[in-house]
Amino acid sequence: MIEFPAFIHVPLAEWTDAAMDWILRVFSGVFDVIGDAILFMLLYIEKFLLWLPWTLVIVLVGIVAWRATHRWWAGLLMAGFLVLIGSFGYWDLAMMTLAIVIAAVIISLLIGIPTGIAMARSNLVETIIRPILDAMQTMPSFVYLIPALMLFGLGKVPAVFATIIYAVPPVIRLTNVGIRQVSPDVIEASRSFGATPRQTLMEVQLPLAIPSIMVGINQTTMMALSMVVIASMIGARGLGLEVLLAINRIDIGRGFEAGISIVLLAIIIDRITAGLAPKQEHSASSS
Amino acid sequence: MAINNIYLQNEEISIEVNNLWKIFGDNVEKVLDSDTQFDGKTDILEKTGCVLAIKDVSFQVHRGEIFVLMGLSGSGKSTLVRCILRLIEPTAGKILINGENVCDCTAQQLTELRRHTISMVFQYFGLLPHRNILQNVAYGLKIRGMAKSKREAKAQEMIELVGLKGWESYLPSALSGGMQQRVGIARALSTDPEMLIMDEPFSGLDPLIRRQMQDELLDIQEKVHKTILFVTHDLHEALKLGNRIAIMKDGEIIQIGDPEEVITAPSDGYVREFVQDASPAKVLTAKRIMEQPNVLLYEWQGPKTAIHILESTELDNAFVLGRGSKFRGLVTVERLLEIIKGGGKSIMNALEPDLLRCTSDTIVEDLFPLAVSTRHPIPVVDDDGKFLGEIHTSTILGSMIQDKETELGD
Repeated sequence: MIEFPAFIHVPLAEWTDAAMDWILRVFSGVFDVIGDAILFMLLYIEKFLLWLPWTLVIVLVGIVAWRATHRWWAGLLMAGFLVLIGSFGYWDLAMMTLAIVIAAVIISLLIGIPTGIAMARSNLVETIIRPILDAMQTMPSFVYLIPALMLFGLGKVPAVFATIIYAVPPVIRLTNVGIRQVSPDVIEASRSFGATPRQTLMEVQLPLAIPSIMVGINQTTMMALSMVVIASMIGARGLGLEVLLAINRIDIGRGFEAGISIVLLAIIIDRITAGLAPKQEHSASSS
Repeated sequence: MAINNIYLQNEEISIEVNNLWKIFGDNVEKVLDSDTQFDGKTDILEKTGCVLAIKDVSFQVHRGEIFVLMGLSGSGKSTLVRCILRLIEPTAGKILINGENVCDCTAQQLTELRRHTISMVFQYFGLLPHRNILQNVAYGLKIRGMAKSKREAKAQEMIELVGLKGWESYLPSALSGGMQQRVGIARALSTDPEMLIMDEPFSGLDPLIRRQMQDELLDIQEKVHKTILFVTHDLHEALKLGNRIAIMKDGEIIQIGDPEEVITAPSDGYVREFVQDASPAKVLTAKRIMEQPNVLLYEWQGPKTAIHILESTELDNAFVLGRGSKFRGLVTVERLLEIIKGGGKSIMNALEPDLLRCTSDTIVEDLFPLAVSTRHPIPVVDDDGKFLGEIHTSTILGSMIQDKETELGD
């Protein structure tokens, strides 16, 4: 009784393979369409970012960061970070990375916010989705890189897909929590005036959940960025690939430059998205 | 009691609740089953796992009255009023609003009822923290789909009615509790509902503000004449505002009556306990303690006649009435003598200036300041100016002691 008996064997691996085969056979058309749509969007974002003159991007980021954080020096600092990334020779790669992140975040929000709302409005939905989110967040990301690869082939699309799986849980969770923590007194008052559930959602719950949802968006963005290095393993070009190549060649200096560029990008995105979250107290007379 | 019944029959009924039950839990049928007998709330909880919140409650609210539901916390009063709007689903029974059963309403009819017929004011205000005062007041109208300019004009009107002009663009968090509740009241009134349900609206406010808000509510009621169902745990509030009061205990209504009935004839020990700390000064009205004067003068009597009457009864003042018992004023011997010296022919020239007076429903508490500021008895006069009786300072004090004794004696 010391070793676990071999005859107790759940063939989950076989089942998963079989399920994957079945999905590939039956839904390959569907995944092609989804893949094309993601690719189309991604390419346009990338093209646009690469088309923008670097000077304009730096000035814009500086201004937005200043506005979002209400600190002029934060704007200067963020602009400085971008100059630094450019000086490493990574401007184009940074823009490609940014394109993947933006595409993944947009799709994550399109999926995540409605899912979060559905979760908040039904305990059943919450019970079902919560373990799925747990799985998405704890599963090592390499595990779903392989199926993503099989569904969409090599390239940017599976990278975006894997990034979405990794990055979508925070926005779902925080949308759910944000809506659920709205004071029941306010909701009851809204109902008492004959508001339909939809009106209560749009007029009361969502507006009051915005700070929480903004934190979710911020978290989702950060996680998408952190996924970039891993996603580069299935062929997404960008800063992640640079890191990967540097590791393979044991080129510490190059790896550090690329790594620092990712960190700087992360800081810029974090400060801007965190700063955009509305502060209830400050928007006093906005009639 | 007989008089009260006639009053009931003449009144139009706005809200009628018949045999309403609310039971929280899964074994509802078991509790409602008449075969099993239960011994109180805890017994039901132990045997069925259900919480009995409202037990077979029936009452009627008449059009235009303030009907107060009073009880300690946990007595089911808040649950009861929420059942009326079906914010909480009642378990059994009927709720008729203008004769229509709310329990049978479709979702759409219910929405209409909430949008047009009944509005609610909450203990914790329930204001939208992200909207300014104007938008909060206009909320009910926005929900209805009213155009922005129209609803804001209406909201503005209501804000002025509750005395918050100038605060339109502030967020609720910038306002004090009392002001926030004014917003709650303005919001409830903005949809121009027939009825208001007010769930302990002033309970969260400090006593001074509470009294002020009660007065303002009465002022507003004077202007708008709504049917109001008012929930409170404060007996003084109930006695001040209520045309009729229902007392709730453990989910049941144990007494319904007007304030005087409740305070003078408490139906059982529970009500009596409640009433014990009610000061008679807040309940007793001038009508109950006033006396008929021994001597009255009339405006057509001459000053000399008046002097004669007063001297023969050893009084130094008396009230003067006109035809049909119309109250004219008060004369004193001193003033009459002056008039006679000056050759005056009418006692009307001898009337005391700035005489204080009260009406039959003035409560004793409000008589104190009058009694302090005059040496003369206080005349009780009705709305048409007819003289009803007089009140002496000693009567006021006596009534306090006597009523306390008869109430607490047994």
